[in-house]
Amino acid sequence: MLTSLKWLNDHLDLSDHSPQQLDDLLTFAGIEVEGIESKGVPSELIIVAQVKEAVQHPDADKLKVCQVDTGEGSLRQIVCGAKNYKVGDKVPCALPGADLGGGFVIKEGKLRGVPSNGMLCGASEIGFVDAEDGLMILPDDLQIGQPLIEIFPSDTILEIEITPNRPDLLSHRGTARELAALSHKELKPASEGASLETAVATDVQLDTSTCPYYTATRISGVSIGESPAWLKEKLEAIGLRPINNAVDITNYVLHELGHPLHAFDAAKVEGALVVRAAREGEVFKALDEVDYTLSPEDAVISDNSGSALALAGVMGGLDSGVTESTTDIILESAYFTTSEIRRTSRRLILSSDSSYRFERGTDPENVLAAAALATRLIIELTGGTLEGATQIAGSLPVLTQPVTLDHDRLFQLMGRENITLDQAEGILENLGLTKADATTWNVPSYRQDLARHIDLVEEIARVHGLDNIQSRFAGTFVEPSETDASYDAQLNIKKSLAALGFYETQTIKLISEAQLADSLPIRPLMEGDIIRVALPLSEDHTLLRPSLTAGLIQVAARNIAQGADSLRFFEMGRQFRNAGGGKAKDLEADSLALLMGGKRGPSNWSEKANTVDLYDLKAVLSALLPQATIQLSPRDRDGWLLCADITANGKPIGTFAQLAPARAREIDATSPIYVAELEMKKVEALIQPAFKASDLPQFPGSSRDVSLEVPISVPNATIEKALGQFKEPLLVDWACTDLFADPSGEKLDTDKRAITYSFHYRSETGTLKGKQVDSAHEALRNHLSNIKGITLR
Amino acid sequence: MSQDLSSLTQDGLAAIAAATDERMLDDARIAYLGKKGSITAASAQMKSLPNEEKPAFGAALNEARNTINHAIDEKKLALQTAADAKSVEGIDLTLPGRQIPVGALHPITQVKDEAIQILRRMGFALADGPEIEDEFHCFDALNTPADHPARNEKDTFYFDSGKLLRTHTSSVQVRNMEKQTPPVKIIAPGSAYRRDEIDATHLSVFTQLEGLFVDKDVTLADLKGTLEYFYKALFGPETETRFRPHFFPFTEPSFEIDIKLVAKGQEPKWIEVAGCGMVDPAVFSAICESRKDETFSPDNITGFAFGMGIDRLAMIKWGIRDIRALIENDTRFLSQFA
Repeated sequence: MLTSLKWLNDHLDLSDHSPQQLDDLLTFAGIEVEGIESKGVPSELIIVAQVKEAVQHPDADKLKVCQVDTGEGSLRQIVCGAKNYKVGDKVPCALPGADLGGGFVIKEGKLRGVPSNGMLCGASEIGFVDAEDGLMILPDDLQIGQPLIEIFPSDTILEIEITPNRPDLLSHRGTARELAALSHKELKPASEGASLETAVATDVQLDTSTCPYYTATRISGVSIGESPAWLKEKLEAIGLRPINNAVDITNYVLHELGHPLHAFDAAKVEGALVVRAAREGEVFKALDEVDYTLSPEDAVISDNSGSALALAGVMGGLDSGVTESTTDIILESAYFTTSEIRRTSRRLILSSDSSYRFERGTDPENVLAAAALATRLIIELTGGTLEGATQIAGSLPVLTQPVTLDHDRLFQLMGRENITLDQAEGILENLGLTKADATTWNVPSYRQDLARHIDLVEEIARVHGLDNIQSRFAGTFVEPSETDASYDAQLNIKKSLAALGFYETQTIKLISEAQLADSLPIRPLMEGDIIRVALPLSEDHTLLRPSLTAGLIQVAARNIAQGADSLRFFEMGRQFRNAGGGKAKDLEADSLALLMGGKRGPSNWSEKANTVDLYDLKAVLSALLPQATIQLSPRDRDGWLLCADITANGKPIGTFAQLAPARAREIDATSPIYVAELEMKKVEALIQPAFKASDLPQFPGSSRDVSLEVPISVPNATIEKALGQFKEPLLVDWACTDLFADPSGEKLDTDKRAITYSFHYRSETGTLKGKQVDSAHEALRNHLSNIKGITLR
Repeated sequence: MSQDLSSLTQDGLAAIAAATDERMLDDARIAYLGKKGSITAASAQMKSLPNEEKPAFGAALNEARNTINHAIDEKKLALQTAADAKSVEGIDLTLPGRQIPVGALHPITQVKDEAIQILRRMGFALADGPEIEDEFHCFDALNTPADHPARNEKDTFYFDSGKLLRTHTSSVQVRNMEKQTPPVKIIAPGSAYRRDEIDATHLSVFTQLEGLFVDKDVTLADLKGTLEYFYKALFGPETETRFRPHFFPFTEPSFEIDIKLVAKGQEPKWIEVAGCGMVDPAVFSAICESRKDETFSPDNITGFAFGMGIDRLAMIKWGIRDIRALIENDTRFLSQFA
């Protein structure tokens, strides 16, 4: 909200407060000042001057040398380039030393060799809007030498953010009242209104709970025209465009008192005003020239003709408002209920200064005060006459109740050492509350936010300030949670991956329909699994990611486009899925996705960087879970190559695949891209629990190799499975140490590979003899030779 | 005889000196000291000598052997030293090292972990909750009226099921109090969602950190102490904080916290980093109703809560100007955090 400091001064003398002090005062009372802007003539050294002579500059076609009377006794010579003035005009003159802002300070100097002792100013140079090109021509009756700042007083505009609980601050009177309380100053009396007689309404009918209280005041014989300067100045200061005197007055009262009014052209009202619920589908053309389709949840001001003249509390109608031909006015001042106005404003996506205040809560006591003030101004400024009594329908709602301040609980929350009861009560009194008894407080009608004990505590804490509360550094012991354990495990994995040369990414969890094709969730997706938001912001973010791989592929694409040649990324976080079954049960769990592609490492002088292959990614998986046996077990999926379940100790924990080459080409990848996604819950379960370390072996061991000829159709897993089934206590370890294939078929048939395993034997009870190793190894060879299709070399 | 030994020794020393590698040196050793070596052969003369000459001859033999052995040892060391030096000849120490791929934790992870470690030091335990929430846990239980602007479907992502993407991590407060008994002292880092267009200062999905401490005697003084300690630990012991009164539906009184940002060559500036306050009794009442007991009755307990944007902490910590850098995952950005 824009607040004029000059306007505030109508209510409160703030001349001893700098804008910065006001900012602090409001800020530390919880009222955020978002901006402070100075308006008006920037310097006292800008004065009224009269051009006495203007002759052509000897060396510049476009410049004139002027002799100017600045009221200093002698004329001042100023070189000027403007064309719109004539000798005898009064214009603003900035004297040497005048600071026009932005570091522009006027100095005595020479222009093309001719001395110039000041500057004649255009309107925009001294804080006004340019009406014409060139100098600002001032009225003839101004006194030469008078500072402009005295003629056009400056103003300071505060942009204040009002939180939804403080609608009482949405006016200059309200803000002044708060500032008076905070600065312990006396508020000036409110502007006087017309003295209104009131009578029970005969021409107003209330048919909806949205409006418990409605008043109508009739003023006849008005002449609609331009508002006087003081009124236009006030409205312009806070960014409003003056329209005509009647409308300007209602706007003025709204920003003065915070109470919205509406002025009807009485000629457009047929018979009585009827405040009623709108009919389903009723169409209303508002002031903004938009047709709104209403529902019975909305309230309208109608008349005996049945058509809606105004959307209650939100906006007037296009056809019933005051125009230049209006002669009689019906002035509406009413109380509309908060949630109903909010509902209408939200449903129609129509917000106005009026709805903004009604939906937050206006002060019922202001209904008649606002009508009185507006009536007086209308009579004064339009020459109208008050017609009879103000008609009143309904009854004034009472929205505040006495509230108890529980002293014990006040001190419990604030700390007894931080505030006294006198201080606390003083704060409440300053804010306009009155003490009913030892602990009960009457709340003024404009503070509907004060309904509970805690609301009073809040006021006390807010005004007292946290600066006056002594910090306490003490604590309670709590048990670590399961989330703690999980967080630590996940962070360790992240750190391992960073150490393995991976960048962690964070991508937006809302992805596009198109990205579903890049998603490789652990369980294949079905249509019902996908969770879509009802109203997406853009088609790039329509659904919750069922897998993290889509984000990683997007990251890869971006980095390829930026010239990255080595892609090693991981992301850990939630993925989402609807469990279906008609129960709409949403599942969310953490998973870990990895992506590798491009060069195995950064290019260097020593060796040619190979491109990543799937065994690199498999190695990373094994490095993450060194205690588990990681295997890839093929499982086809559409749109991917080499798709496989990732198993740990034989149990599936995730999915692996190579990105389809067609998709890889789309993102300009020049070598294969591999992705994997792991269920974090299963990964965390595999992290080694607390254990006892084994002693070092006491006796030396011995190694033997076996070379096998294996048909290409037999996967290595077959050998490993057989080895897993071989029970020999002396066999402690094995490793696959060589792989040989001969595409020429000379040394080995092309449909076979030679795989070499190295086996390590050791006894816990003594040094093994050659014969013992031989016999164990022979048994192993026999065992392996039983695998179908395999021969020993 | 001694003359002979003496000339043999001289010959041996010459052969050793002439050796240019370890094999030639070994040949020289064999030629003089080997089984058939000339000094070994000379020792055979011993038995033909008269007894009185034997000691002198023996001593001369020993001296000859020692001299040769010593020369061999010295020469061997010299040859090895020379070979060692040669082995590094021409190596350029200034060539760059072979490159190991470098990775890094995302800056959000790093600053989040720093925050978590500081709060754990103060005795907070981690807590978690779903990101797909219901209105009760996200709004109703947090004293947010049904027509509150945040509940608008322009500002919040809803699903057709009526559920929504949590707009703050505060929903974890509610879920935790439903299950635990006081003292509750938790922090909940996690994602929150708002229907904001992504630009330099907004993300539709962002990272928050929520804190809640509920116990018998929690006061504003605890709130202030905890958060002052936190920001000093995170941004340095000189960090100044200020608490501006504010309004949130779920705390009363409520405050926004600013820290003073001091950058070289710039006016110090207060910037907002968190919201906090004393848990509103209405929140406790909602918990009581949900639990169907009085464990969290506002008559017996008090508490404070706070919430801060982790993305914002990262931006402050590293002077990141455009929040989108945090979700673009460009390695040219991420490599700075290695």
